[in-house]
Amino acid sequence: MNVTTQSSAVGQRSYHHQPPSLYVINSFYEWVVEVSADLARIAVRDSAAVQAARVDEITRLLTLEARLLDQGTLAQENQRALAQEAYGHWLALFADECAYWIPANIPAADPRQTVALEFHDRRRLLDRVARLGTGFAFSQSPASHTSRQWSGLEIWPSPNRTDEWRARCSFMLVESREGHGRVLSGWNGFVLRETPDGLRIVLKQINLIDCDRMQGNNSFFL
Amino acid sequence: MTNIAKISALASAPPDTSGVWDDLVQQDRVHRRVYTDDSIFAREMDNIFAATWVYLAHESEIPEPNDFKLSWIGLREVIVARDEGGVVHAFSNRCSHRGASVCREHQGNAADFTCPYHGWRFDNRGQLFGIPGKSAYGPKFKSRDMNLARPAQLGSYKGFVFATLNPDAPPLLQHLGNAARYLDAWIDHNGGPENLCLAGAHRFRLACNWKMVWDNAGDGYHVPFSHQSLLVMTNDRYGGGDMAYFADADRSRMSNNALDNGHTVIDQRPGMHGESAWRQQRPQPGREPYEEHVAATYGEQAQRVLDTTVGAGMSLNIFPNLALIGNQVQVVQPLAVAATGVHWYATRRRDADAEVNTMRLRTQEDFPVMGEMDDASNFEGCQRGLTNSPEDEWVDMSRHYETGKDLPAEEGIVRGPVTTDLHMRNYYAEWKRLMKVQPTLQVNNGRLA
Repeated sequence: MNVTTQSSAVGQRSYHHQPPSLYVINSFYEWVVEVSADLARIAVRDSAAVQAARVDEITRLLTLEARLLDQGTLAQENQRALAQEAYGHWLALFADECAYWIPANIPAADPRQTVALEFHDRRRLLDRVARLGTGFAFSQSPASHTSRQWSGLEIWPSPNRTDEWRARCSFMLVESREGHGRVLSGWNGFVLRETPDGLRIVLKQINLIDCDRMQGNNSFFL
Repeated sequence: MTNIAKISALASAPPDTSGVWDDLVQQDRVHRRVYTDDSIFAREMDNIFAATWVYLAHESEIPEPNDFKLSWIGLREVIVARDEGGVVHAFSNRCSHRGASVCREHQGNAADFTCPYHGWRFDNRGQLFGIPGKSAYGPKFKSRDMNLARPAQLGSYKGFVFATLNPDAPPLLQHLGNAARYLDAWIDHNGGPENLCLAGAHRFRLACNWKMVWDNAGDGYHVPFSHQSLLVMTNDRYGGGDMAYFADADRSRMSNNALDNGHTVIDQRPGMHGESAWRQQRPQPGREPYEEHVAATYGEQAQRVLDTTVGAGMSLNIFPNLALIGNQVQVVQPLAVAATGVHWYATRRRDADAEVNTMRLRTQEDFPVMGEMDDASNFEGCQRGLTNSPEDEWVDMSRHYETGKDLPAEEGIVRGPVTTDLHMRNYYAEWKRLMKVQPTLQVNNGRLA
């Protein structure tokens, strides 16, 4: 079996694991740690700092993000192709260089020092989606069905940037699986950036109120 | 004899003279009640979790003077604390007055603990030093030992702290027996005792008996089935990789080993590290820049550094609650007959650079996220099956029992093919030995010397 990570031709690299994860380096971690502290900061922010049209655009994006995940879980059981379609649209809302982060501590610990419940780059998100698509992801057979509400959206500009915004909102996620209901709750932090392809999510941080306690089967996307 | 009659026999008959344990745990099968019966669970909390050594904590979790963390001896809650002089102590989180919890935080730093109920104060060696309104107590009270209860024995092996309430339990090193050399190898893979640090945890609550988790800890048979989604995904996206070597596992050089006192180890190093464990590892965030960093920094040692960033290639199970898997320290915590906590502590190395430690963490987020819940859903299915279909009495553990392939090896080890049920047969022999006897359980409330 050939499982080498790279096969180098002269003068260039080609990567075995696609897409390569070239951006998850120390400067990226520095950035997520700074963002995480800002998202969690106890602050009274200027609600007029972001134009109404931009607030509207971000609101619609986050609404779509949540709705696609709910649709993915509802389709997962019997309509896996539809679920994959929902997750494909969901991933398209994220920038190529993105992170999906569920800290295991309150406040969120530096992911270079302490394990997270999840800290995924785009490639691992693709792995997660593909795993659900195999039909053998037994933790999602039967699938979790989810309905998530979020509210209390606050948006502010990223410091020293005109093309990037930070946002947070609280969420309540009701899950039903095998006839048992659970409620997961907490708050989400987002970083959204204007890219040549449009507004994209650069970071989604899911802060569960009980992330440092025992969790159940969270093998879907939060 | 009906099931009900057997339950009542269990509750009343002297266990050492009844054959009930031999009926319940046979050579190659186990009765379902061992997983479903409240009275058996209650006895396990004494005879298994209190009467033999259980793992409490790693010293790196409480590195500084006055650091503490909560842990458990079965259901018994204990505080593990490092005093100002650096000595590690363990004592009950049960106030010697009325029983309240003197500590309500899972970890922290405190020189003393004040009971929130009546304000009794204890130092971080568990010794009582303050009673509000003390003059209201008389000489009879003052003659009593009222410190927080310490387990009969406390021991540490290379940073792994264990305790038992059984004063007759053999010394910790004897209890570890021939598992110690595998523990040494696992610790060495992670930089040696002076470098290994725990670095946070994934914690899960599963609706199953703790032994469902323990059965699986040494199960080399389930991998291509329970984790089929990972194997298929990894093959589809990357042309194969991690755990693919379990596909025809009994033809591999991997082995399943019965060690002393119910301990076991799956040695998958010949499969996982045969070529390069790093190359087989599913891709982690930042993998490619990390490879460049390692190549640029470590020269000829680069491949070794990559291969020690990922798991040790051993699943080492120290009966009854400590499982070393990958580079993680897994602790099994019984909560009720059909509820179990599983704590996957991640590890880092004091001697490693920031990039190595970051990559260790990203690697250790792979399996708890993408593999553990598939197993958990099977454990919970097993629990429902055993609970709800009582006429179907037996849990099988006869794989390779009759093939003659479990063979004596060096230092008292019995070694079998990686998919053998030797792990279950071995730990259940110890389980039965412990369940049959009436152990002495003892705590000490006296002052320390």
